[in-house]
Amino acid sequence: MVLLNRVRRYWARHHIAERLRVAFVGRQIVDGLLFKAALIAILISVSVLYVKPLLYMMSTSLKTLPDLLDQSVRWIPNTLEWLNYEKAIGGLKYWRSLGITSFIALTAAVLQTLACGITGYAFARLHIPGKKFWFAIVILTFLIPQQTLVIPLYVIYVKLGWLNTVLPFIVPAIVAQGIKGSLFIIIFRQFFSTLPKELEESARMDGAGAFRTYWKIMIPLSRPALLIVFLFSFVWHWNDYFEPALYLKGADFYPLSLSLEHLQANLNFMSGSSSGLTNVVVDVNEPIKMAAAFLIILPPLILYMFAQRYFVEGIERTGIVE
Amino acid sequence: MTDNSTTGLAMSAKDHRRKRRRQRGREALRGYLFLAPWLIGVACFVCYPLFYSVYISFNKVSIAKDGSGLAYEWIGWGNYRYSFLRDNVFPIEMLSFLRELLFIVPITVIFSLLVAVMLNQKFRGRMFFRMIFFLPVIFATGEVLTELFSQGQGAIPFGDQYDVEALIYGIFSPNVASTIMSVISRFVIILWSSGIQIIIFLAAFQTIPQSAFEAARIDGVTPWESFWKITFPVIVPFIALNLIYTLVDQSTNPFNPIIAHILKNMSDAETGYGYASALGWIYCAITLVPILILARFGRPANKRKG
Repeated sequence: MVLLNRVRRYWARHHIAERLRVAFVGRQIVDGLLFKAALIAILISVSVLYVKPLLYMMSTSLKTLPDLLDQSVRWIPNTLEWLNYEKAIGGLKYWRSLGITSFIALTAAVLQTLACGITGYAFARLHIPGKKFWFAIVILTFLIPQQTLVIPLYVIYVKLGWLNTVLPFIVPAIVAQGIKGSLFIIIFRQFFSTLPKELEESARMDGAGAFRTYWKIMIPLSRPALLIVFLFSFVWHWNDYFEPALYLKGADFYPLSLSLEHLQANLNFMSGSSSGLTNVVVDVNEPIKMAAAFLIILPPLILYMFAQRYFVEGIERTGIVE
Repeated sequence: MTDNSTTGLAMSAKDHRRKRRRQRGREALRGYLFLAPWLIGVACFVCYPLFYSVYISFNKVSIAKDGSGLAYEWIGWGNYRYSFLRDNVFPIEMLSFLRELLFIVPITVIFSLLVAVMLNQKFRGRMFFRMIFFLPVIFATGEVLTELFSQGQGAIPFGDQYDVEALIYGIFSPNVASTIMSVISRFVIILWSSGIQIIIFLAAFQTIPQSAFEAARIDGVTPWESFWKITFPVIVPFIALNLIYTLVDQSTNPFNPIIAHILKNMSDAETGYGYASALGWIYCAITLVPILILARFGRPANKRKG
């Protein structure tokens, strides 16, 4: 009885109840441990659901066929079958496609970033009669679905003889069009309009022309915007499959995003040519397909590992939301 | 402009105006010079294709008999009539696509809002979660997505366990139920398209000054109330923006049946480019309606802010 009283007094004097309450429930519910634990639990479960297909891809890509059919093997294969990757690399003509994709994505992204930067700067800072009208067109080109324009573009490219070349991806990029070009213009415009106006004024006082000002002052300052637009342009060009599927119909010239389609045919061809028998068909099974899919997304994933900070913070830092 | 009239070298008002006009002219010229690449781009890759596309949508386009190129035959609204009256695939696909959009767009935006609200709390490891939720933006390429879908990896895992299909077919009419099932079968893949939207919401939260929350807190407002009274009004325009972005994004989705249908008709000798163009315009008209409505809905809030 005495002990209990002492405990009770100790409890009251040191405000333990209150402290525990603050620690668990928080002064406001969002500060407390309970809330945070619940939050993280929810986030983890959603994330698991979210990345499950990716994990499935990785796990399946290393399974042998018996493992695939074995119900007891779910995530971790009994034996790691690296041969799947070997077959997938052959079937995708991986290195060749990788080279083509890198070339297209890199060139287009660099050109698009530069062109959209200039356009965005013009919209943000320069005196242009009818600017509102032109900017409305930028927004309109963002909203018009590709489906509407694709046929005339296709006909034009046929006439120009640009099919099965890289030109349909690179020329639009030079003139600030191309994949989500209008979105990039909007990002640049937003970014440049947050910079102080005095920059240009003082440059003009020092006798710099508009181009010099842009090149010497605006470009170095806009590194975050340039980087984010470049990264997005690169990844979107890399992943694009709609336009390549249309413009690159030659069997021997396709980027990685289309190569999955040719997997079976290439494998058949390879096995046929090596054994000389026509009835030997390498059946593309699920593990090989998953290995191929993983190989296709691997380069952007590696890029993301290094650049994820810029991807995620980029939109916030360019102030597109202001 | 500097006022020259006070100096000794006074300029007449006329000269002054002329000089000013010339200067403005030079400025405009410079502006247009900067804009020139884009203007050329718009002319070549937007305007010309647009007009050409309108023109051929009223034509029956076929390969000329002498092989010299394309032959056009004006048929007025024929292609448009054909799409609704005789094409027995297009109206059905368009309708089912729109029905799916009705689920997909709100799901994406609500999901991204929820995730953004959670990621906006202060706790350790939120950068890690941000990284996870943005991940699909990096690798979501068409063929990989369709491959994952064909292996049933897009579905939510407990779908089969509880026999959701029977349940949904029990509750809803077959039309609605089949739409819901199709959405469920690639639910995860749909969620994957919310990376940009999450970041936009997160950035929107940053625009609210922290002092607003502190003041509310001193007045004894609960976090729940401060979300609805402070945060929500600010992000309403961003909800509209994200709805628009999601709608636009869906037009490049690999599961969009209209693209497939247009491409099929493009290479079809019977229908050809003309009909495919008409389909493109119908698709454009149908998707622009909700976008314009949303844009109107988002604008007043934007104006108030600035």
